[in-house]
Amino acid sequence: MSFGRFVLKRSLQGLGVVWGVVTVVFALRFVTPGSAINAVAPLDADQETRQAIAAELGLDQPLYVQYGQYVSDLLRGDMGFSYIRGQEVAGLVFARLPATVELALAASVVAIVLSIPLGVLSATRRNEPVDYGATLLSLGGISTPNFWLGIMLILVFAVEFDVFNTSGRGVDVGDVALSLIGAEPFVGTLLAWLAYITLPAIALGTYFMALITRLTRSGMLDELSKGYVQAAQAKGLPQTLVRYKHALRNTLIPVITVLGLQLGTLIGGAVITEAVFSWPGLGTLVIESINTRDWPVLQGSLIVIGTSFVFVNVLVDAVYAYLDPQVVND
Amino acid sequence: MSPDSVDRVNRRTMLAYAGTAAAVGLAGCSGSDGSDGSDGSDGSDGEDGGDGSDGGDGDSFEIGVTMGQMDSGLDPQDHAETNTEIIVGQVYEGLLDRDKEGGIIEGLATDWERTEDGNVRFVLREGVTFHNGDPLTAEDVAFSIRRIVFDDVGIVSPQSNDLGTIDEVVPGDGEVVVDFASYNPIAFQLFATNGPIMQRSWVEENDGNYINQNTNGTGPFVVTEYDSGNQVAYEPNEEYWGEANPVDELTMGASSESSTRVNRLLAEESDIVTNVPPQEVSRVESSDVAGINSVASARIIFLQMRYDVEPFSSQQFRQAMNYAVDVESIVEDVLNGFGSITAQPTLEGHVGHDPEIEPYPYDPDEAERLVEESGHAGVEITLETPIGRYLGDVEIAQAAASQIDSLSNVSCELEQREFSSLVQDVTAPNIEDRPRFNLLGWGNGEFDGSQTLTPLLSSEGALTVLENEELDGLLADAEATQDPDERVDILQEANRLAHDLAPWVFMHQQFSVYGVSSDISWEPRADEFIDPDTATRQ
Repeated sequence: MSFGRFVLKRSLQGLGVVWGVVTVVFALRFVTPGSAINAVAPLDADQETRQAIAAELGLDQPLYVQYGQYVSDLLRGDMGFSYIRGQEVAGLVFARLPATVELALAASVVAIVLSIPLGVLSATRRNEPVDYGATLLSLGGISTPNFWLGIMLILVFAVEFDVFNTSGRGVDVGDVALSLIGAEPFVGTLLAWLAYITLPAIALGTYFMALITRLTRSGMLDELSKGYVQAAQAKGLPQTLVRYKHALRNTLIPVITVLGLQLGTLIGGAVITEAVFSWPGLGTLVIESINTRDWPVLQGSLIVIGTSFVFVNVLVDAVYAYLDPQVVND
Repeated sequence: MSPDSVDRVNRRTMLAYAGTAAAVGLAGCSGSDGSDGSDGSDGSDGEDGGDGSDGGDGDSFEIGVTMGQMDSGLDPQDHAETNTEIIVGQVYEGLLDRDKEGGIIEGLATDWERTEDGNVRFVLREGVTFHNGDPLTAEDVAFSIRRIVFDDVGIVSPQSNDLGTIDEVVPGDGEVVVDFASYNPIAFQLFATNGPIMQRSWVEENDGNYINQNTNGTGPFVVTEYDSGNQVAYEPNEEYWGEANPVDELTMGASSESSTRVNRLLAEESDIVTNVPPQEVSRVESSDVAGINSVASARIIFLQMRYDVEPFSSQQFRQAMNYAVDVESIVEDVLNGFGSITAQPTLEGHVGHDPEIEPYPYDPDEAERLVEESGHAGVEITLETPIGRYLGDVEIAQAAASQIDSLSNVSCELEQREFSSLVQDVTAPNIEDRPRFNLLGWGNGEFDGSQTLTPLLSSEGALTVLENEELDGLLADAEATQDPDERVDILQEANRLAHDLAPWVFMHQQFSVYGVSSDISWEPRADEFIDPDTATRQ
């Protein structure tokens, strides 16, 4: 199979998954308790008002008509209208998406910057105190629930020491970029951005930091025990060159795969972190929509999250196939 | 958010520098360099700097409010929940308003009266302009009321029942006459709580998507930035007809996590936070940057029992449930004292409240005796409660169910239900589809007993669990009478009857508990609305 056919096949599979997500998300509305009408109408609304609201929302139509209409609208790029907020769903969802992507990327940076050096250090100094420390840290990182970590970070670094902001997203990465062309002082804007994003990024990224640390460590140990490393060492190559140019490079291939997949998880998995830090991303929107039974927004958010995950997976598959052509044939 | 946030951050520049140093240090090395931790500690030294720059705030009075949830759009007539009401209520006003205690005061109308035929006339305030500079007209007022109550004027408003049954609204010269379908004894109470006024031409020129993201009211604040789901920033309306607004900048945000709200208060990022849970109260009170302000709200919490099913069809059994629950200990232990015991459906201070009615005392022996007399000894019942809808709802229900269960002749279990699911049953069209025994809360923003008794306990009420001819008759009389004093007497009699009929286990009046920065002085309102323009600097 050619690389092109491989990517096409994966993309079509991805589309099938997205369609499945759309259908499941649509069905959720009808299998979960609670009515959208109660989210709109006051408790003491009479039955006439409830029926009028149902008709306005299209909820008085048969199920298959509602589903057909929904899929047809989606294909035309129309994600519907929020009956709670009175706004277009697409506008609401895509206004929140950048915040979630920004947080996911920041968490990935936290994870990568800490984990790879730590994993390498741990592997190259196996059974030394550094290794024990790194192993303990990664074990702690995997075991610690991120909502608890988030609350602790806020209490210590925002409330007690007043170093970072407790919550919110006062400045976004776009503001930082704009400050480069002189709209605001660059350093001040950058620091302001860091004051908001640092704690949620650490809370969200810690688990992945721990995961990748362990992966890097085991991968590195595996590579270091291989013959080509011993040959390189026997040839008299400097230790640094052997470790970081040869062994680390090979270790990073599965690490990059996992990182790519985790980025999708981070986008969908930031719900709790966003709630703890009042981060105005998709996760917060999901929670708000559940609380208010705003089904169109919830459906739109979940579809975007699901599609992002699928997209990242397909992309990772493609990159992996490009780097390792054997995958295509397998 | 940008202008405010940058200012806010500038005040904390020293802290941010230090914090960032720590963050960069954390991100940039393996973590083995302990000196990075020291950088973090240095950050705390920066507090002095932060305080110093706070001094610069002397020129500008900024207030930040953090609620539990943001708005559901900015259309003031297309929502039915408190958070949105608070956010849009800074911008939009009604014909009448309320003071802190719930009394009716002037709004966009300076005078109001009954006409000879029982309708109501509002004389409009002169010289009022919308935020876009256009003057307020009687036509705008008439259009706004029509848009709320008539389905064919733009939207199906969830507030359509809030102004009573209106036949027509007639604009005149500087006045508006509201023609009710029949005599409405609480017309002014309704208009003091409901009916935000919008500009007709602005509404007609824009679609719902725009109206939900932009504002054009007459209120004390003008929206300067609307970041949906994140925050709303305001500045004072310089053309406001009322007293000069002392607040230079207002920011309203939200956090669904109560601990985050409290943290925002304690980190001095917010000046007013709502719904501080009882377990967080001591943390706020022990801090030197904030305190607790509470007020009895207009919300009553009760356990309602359906009259048409056994064992709740027995009045004795229903009374027994009231004797079985120790409301005083629940208020003290679960709510930290933030509640007051009730004895009737109408709250103290509301029209029709009878101060002579005493709450059912906690008397398990009497409860057991009444259960025996009712013929339902040995019965098993289930109390359904929403989760997280009302302050301490699950804990309150657990305590009540446990106390009932401790009776020797009644077994009581608790069933926790997601609110939307429970409310779907509570609002079922037929009474036989509603829960038999459940916890519920009811807010009465009109401060009038009929607004609780009619929907919840009259035979035709949308949420009723009771059918009693005598009570129906009293409520009909209260609706018909044009003598306010006589009406109070009738409602008091209805409350006495309701107390005896015991369709509910009368629990408590919920308090609104706010965390308030020590930098400001602000008193909360009984109707849960937040009015930052009444705050002053400490």
